[in-house]
Amino acid sequence: MGQPTTVQAEGPQDDPRTAGVRASGPVPVDTPTVRPAFDDEHPPSAELISDCVHCGFCLPTCPTYTLWGEEMDSPRGRIDLMKAGLQGAPMTDTMVQHFDACLGCMACVTACPSGVQYDKLIEATRVQVERHHTRSPGDRAMRASIFALFPYKRRLRALRGPLRAYQASGLPKVVRTSGLLDRLAPKLAAMEGLAPVLEKREKLPSRVPAVGERRAVVGMLTGCVQGEFFPGVNAATARVLAAEGCDVIIPKKQGCCGALSVHNGRQEEAERFARATIDAFEAAGVQTVVVNAAGCGSSMKEYAEVLADDPAYAERAKTFAASVRDVSELLAELGTVAERHPLEVTVAYHDACHLGHAQGIRQQPRALLREIPGLQLREIPEAEICCGSAGIWNVLNPEPARELGDRKARNIASTGAELLVTANPGCLMQVSSSLQRQGTRIGLAHTIEVLDASIRGLPVSTLGPPD
Amino acid sequence: MSGTHGTQTSAGPVLGDTPPEATAATGEVGDNAAGMAAVGRVARALMPDTGVISDPTQLRTYECDGLAHYRVTPALVVLPETTEQLAGVVRACAEHGVPFVARGSGTGLSGGALPRADGVLVVTSRMRTIREVRRADQRAVLEPGVINLDVTRAATGEGYYYAPDPSSQQICSIGGNLAENSGGAHCLKYGFTSNHVLGAELVTPQGDVVQLGGLAPDAPGYDLLGTVVGSEGTLGIATTATVRLVRLPEEVRTLLVGFRSTDDAGAATSAIIGSGVLPAAIEMMDALAIEAAEAAVHCNYPDGAGAVLVIELDGPAAEVQHEYDVVERLCQEHGSFELRLAIDATERALIWKGRKSAFAAVGRISPDYIVQDGVIPRTALPEVLRAIADLSSSSGVRVANVFHAGDGNLHPLVLFDDGKPGAGEAAEKVSGAILDLCITHGGAITGEHGVGVDKAAYMPKMFTDDDLDTMQLVRCAFDPGGIANPGKVFPTPRLCGEVPGKRKHAHPLVEAGLADAF
Amino acid sequence: MTTVSLDAARTALSSACGDVTDAGPADAVDGVPARLVARPGTTAETAAVLQAAAGHGLTVVPRGRGTKLSWGRPPERADLVLDMSRMSAVLDHAAGDLIVHAQAGTLLADVQQTVGSAGQRLSLDESVPGTSIGGALATNTSGPGRLVVGTARDLLLGVTLVRADGVVAKAGGRVVKNVAGYDLGKLVIGSFGTLAVITDAVFRLHPLPAAQRFVTVPFGTAEDAAALVQTMVHSQVVPAAVEVEWRVDGAGTVGVLLGGTPAGVEARTAATLELLGTGAEAAETPPPGWGALPWRDDADLPEVGLKLTCALSGLAPVLDAARRAAADAGVPLTLRGSGGSGVLYAALAADAPVDAVAAVVERTRTACTAHGGSLVVLEAPAAVQAAVDTWGPVPAIDLMRRVKEQFDPERRLAPGRFVGGI
Repeated sequence: MGQPTTVQAEGPQDDPRTAGVRASGPVPVDTPTVRPAFDDEHPPSAELISDCVHCGFCLPTCPTYTLWGEEMDSPRGRIDLMKAGLQGAPMTDTMVQHFDACLGCMACVTACPSGVQYDKLIEATRVQVERHHTRSPGDRAMRASIFALFPYKRRLRALRGPLRAYQASGLPKVVRTSGLLDRLAPKLAAMEGLAPVLEKREKLPSRVPAVGERRAVVGMLTGCVQGEFFPGVNAATARVLAAEGCDVIIPKKQGCCGALSVHNGRQEEAERFARATIDAFEAAGVQTVVVNAAGCGSSMKEYAEVLADDPAYAERAKTFAASVRDVSELLAELGTVAERHPLEVTVAYHDACHLGHAQGIRQQPRALLREIPGLQLREIPEAEICCGSAGIWNVLNPEPARELGDRKARNIASTGAELLVTANPGCLMQVSSSLQRQGTRIGLAHTIEVLDASIRGLPVSTLGPPD
Repeated sequence: MSGTHGTQTSAGPVLGDTPPEATAATGEVGDNAAGMAAVGRVARALMPDTGVISDPTQLRTYECDGLAHYRVTPALVVLPETTEQLAGVVRACAEHGVPFVARGSGTGLSGGALPRADGVLVVTSRMRTIREVRRADQRAVLEPGVINLDVTRAATGEGYYYAPDPSSQQICSIGGNLAENSGGAHCLKYGFTSNHVLGAELVTPQGDVVQLGGLAPDAPGYDLLGTVVGSEGTLGIATTATVRLVRLPEEVRTLLVGFRSTDDAGAATSAIIGSGVLPAAIEMMDALAIEAAEAAVHCNYPDGAGAVLVIELDGPAAEVQHEYDVVERLCQEHGSFELRLAIDATERALIWKGRKSAFAAVGRISPDYIVQDGVIPRTALPEVLRAIADLSSSSGVRVANVFHAGDGNLHPLVLFDDGKPGAGEAAEKVSGAILDLCITHGGAITGEHGVGVDKAAYMPKMFTDDDLDTMQLVRCAFDPGGIANPGKVFPTPRLCGEVPGKRKHAHPLVEAGLADAF
Repeated sequence: MTTVSLDAARTALSSACGDVTDAGPADAVDGVPARLVARPGTTAETAAVLQAAAGHGLTVVPRGRGTKLSWGRPPERADLVLDMSRMSAVLDHAAGDLIVHAQAGTLLADVQQTVGSAGQRLSLDESVPGTSIGGALATNTSGPGRLVVGTARDLLLGVTLVRADGVVAKAGGRVVKNVAGYDLGKLVIGSFGTLAVITDAVFRLHPLPAAQRFVTVPFGTAEDAAALVQTMVHSQVVPAAVEVEWRVDGAGTVGVLLGGTPAGVEARTAATLELLGTGAEAAETPPPGWGALPWRDDADLPEVGLKLTCALSGLAPVLDAARRAAADAGVPLTLRGSGGSGVLYAALAADAPVDAVAAVVERTRTACTAHGGSLVVLEAPAAVQAAVDTWGPVPAIDLMRRVKEQFDPERRLAPGRFVGGI
């Protein structure tokens, strides 16, 4: 940090008494010995930063501001820090700590009346942080472990079942020794206690034909966490899409979409996953790619930015990003044809941040749920505030994540609903442990599972709530 | 740019930022460094580490409130969680002659919470417990950091709400509301913060904790509370507030009425007020403001409107029906071309969203703008609006109008592009001329945003030296050392004679030739 | 003050103001004889008078129409009575803006007449007949209407003051919304003339309701009264007033005022009758005594007049405590006030023994303070005043003293009348 310096400021011109009063403060000065926080390769944009008028409307929706009530852990505070960085302030541990603390939930983007693109700002900042900041050994190990585990389906499969979490000898050493499993195991156990989906893995064919008249051909992303922990969701997605007249193509070669990497500033890794995903779906020859995990969908819609500097992929990434649809988005576009059977159940719908805030998809899933006869939809108080899952944030920040999860669980419980419905595997994992901790008996399901049950005429009991 | 009036936002390019603006006495780093260090030690002894901020990077995020035009980095930020902690810090400030500035959510639009470089910023955002909702008493007891809208959320289940509703109600805090005597759209019928805060626990600038008012009305003695509310943090820091809760009305009707011109809308407003109907709110937006709101929140206001009125009627169903009939007739008589009645809470919320997002939304149609806040007698509305339009056309500076038409509180938004040479100065000029219009029409230089640092220099246009001197007698009673938010409200501080505490040298303002000892 | 200095003071005052006379017995302030009376006609004259008074060290007691001079404590001295009755003009009534600007000595009734012609009213009840607006502000009187529109602090927009040193200062303005500078108006409301002299004031006005109706219902116990009040304040009929009266003979009445449009008032009256239940009756005219203070105003032998306040939830215990204390002391007691606001006035017979009155004051005050409120002895014979604590405990009294010291360092404005001997 540069030494605080004083800067000559102007007083009101019509008041000579105040002319020449010196305002001061640590305006960071770029001295040769201090390296500025950001390099010239895509730093957070000064123009986007100047859109912020400091009104504070972002504060109440920001999970960390809600937790700690301090400015530097709020969106406008982080923008102030970015601005300081652009003006030459060094990337101190303190500064990084506040960037790291951002969940990336994008609630602030929704709340901002001035249209500040905080999503772009924080992602650019994170790439810079990864490039210039040296983390503590423990932090490095935990992050290495996460990125050695999550994007890989086979490694995730080793975690299925609570006991196996501890016996996961097939995992890389970095995963076994980092303490990551100790953080994950209780969550996995809690989730299995509440979610209706882990009973069996259904093997999906590479093509599921439309039922009746074909209205569209779509590719489907199976995802990593979704595919391994909630395989029932993928099966339900394929069935519902088929029932609504889609030929569903499920490329075998698809891997991780790179969402976690995109959202954590791991630029090269993100690019690699993005290219592979584009390749896989281009090869399948589909015009539309359907995603049932909010986090995946939101980052796939960002591929154009991720690959903007890659001449071979830039155009293809744009086309691909434009073809991505959340499953509820697509179903709403298509309009309903398959008959819905009644489900007598009260449902609390939870907006996954990467669906609601990042993709602006709020009405579609609600509209789809309301089409089901007998289903009663209830809104969750403080719906805009993140549950604390936030990709890998809850693994890196277990204590505040628990506070946020408990807060979300209390709000969910206050609805008195029998079933909690959301569209992101991370949210389900996160809130299930909080719900269990506070003793709330409530079933968990993905939106598409509810639609599937209704179309197939299954009883409510298949969705929970557990007895 | 001088920045003497109005709320300027988005001040220019980020790189090579203009120097921080300042007005009277923002202090200087190193003034009374020993005192500052002593206060820091006291604060650390009183609070956990996370409650005391001295890291320059972190301090930087506290350099401005909602008026980003003025920036001063504080020497220290404290985030107390209890009255004892807060009072302890203030007492230390008093003892060591260190200035302090109170801040809630930092959404103020007059720079009232602009820090002092040589002082402590006392932030109440961690004192945010709703202590009690007392339905039988129609009161709530709140800590200062409680968010305005959360009071209503907490009381709704009991059939009550908190009436003052600044546009920033989703984030502004009760403590800040109390300091600024915040208004809002519904003040027309229900009054301002000062009408709704009935008690407060106050930490005086000397660090004493006193109770002013309370659950019962008309406490014997001077109405110090009435003076503290709206004193912009210069008389102490409220650590609790006892507020009135208002019964949720039986019926609410929110109307969106489109007019061809602001003249028509202004005349309709006067007619409604003159008819004896007292709506909960009458808000006006002109074409430019509508354009901005549409861009930001897609509120779907009537196409081609030169102005819209948002009118809300509330109360017993039987009365609301009558009022609605009167309002509908008067709007039609004054040239409305479209009248929409919100059919449900969602529609109602969308109408209000357009209005309440309007300030920040103007950022979508102009790179920079000044939010002005002035008051005129309601009957002068059409005349003043025409004068503003003339100012705008003669200067070439665009002005969007968003305001509380029912009580004559104007919020002209003066648009400019700071990237263009001279544009900022031209905007400042127009903004200042609008304030002059308010004064010449017998109005006020601020209706709800406060004087803060921004309009202190304008106070002599509205008040004589004797008026200001008399007001400062109160300040001398509360804050003889002049350490509570110095440099705000008053263009010239009044010195109060013997200063308690350890100050040995002459008052820095006297030394600097900025003040005379009265 | 010696005769010589009185002469000098009279001369100085006379050059400041055309209307200066020697005080007579009728000018005594709560039993304290006055020496001189000045009747300024303008703010400038008022300032000149106060300057002259300052120059001669005169204590000054401001007087509007003299209807409440016996309230509070008697002043320590009253060298000069500053009579504001010549300043009695309504300076401006801007009907379209719903404001009125009037001089301090203007009768409240005159203001009402002026604004009433435009279908408007100043929503300040005339609880003491013949009051001036300056006097109403200085003593912060209020009546039934306070439930919805509040009190003087909620209606006063701007004020002109003259300080003890003769300096004229304004605060506030002529518009309904204004946050520029300190709200000195609120500071002088209820200050009993101890901070500054009010010379004129601007108020916000309300439209006169097209129709109004009174609904009354009898009650038997304090709990019943409080329950009826709670029913009304939580209801959706939006009463303009909720009054409680409990007479000496034990007859209790809750009275409700409804104001609005004819159709609206009719519907709300029906709802109110239903809410209040058996025995409730509606009338076009107010019940006897509506809005009046319960004590008899007799200069020779004043009844004891108390002001009781409490949180709304404390209404039953406070009513109960007052009634029991009076019964135990053998003193007849009448209670009346804005039960819906937690403000009650109590009257005790003029000839009640001092000890008995003191006991009632003590016990009732305990109940009031236990429920967040206070008890003030507004009106009392000298013997009672000497025996009771007029104002009771006052939090923040030190801060109040400091305010007084700033405004009137020589303690010449109505010294001793106010809390803590201010």
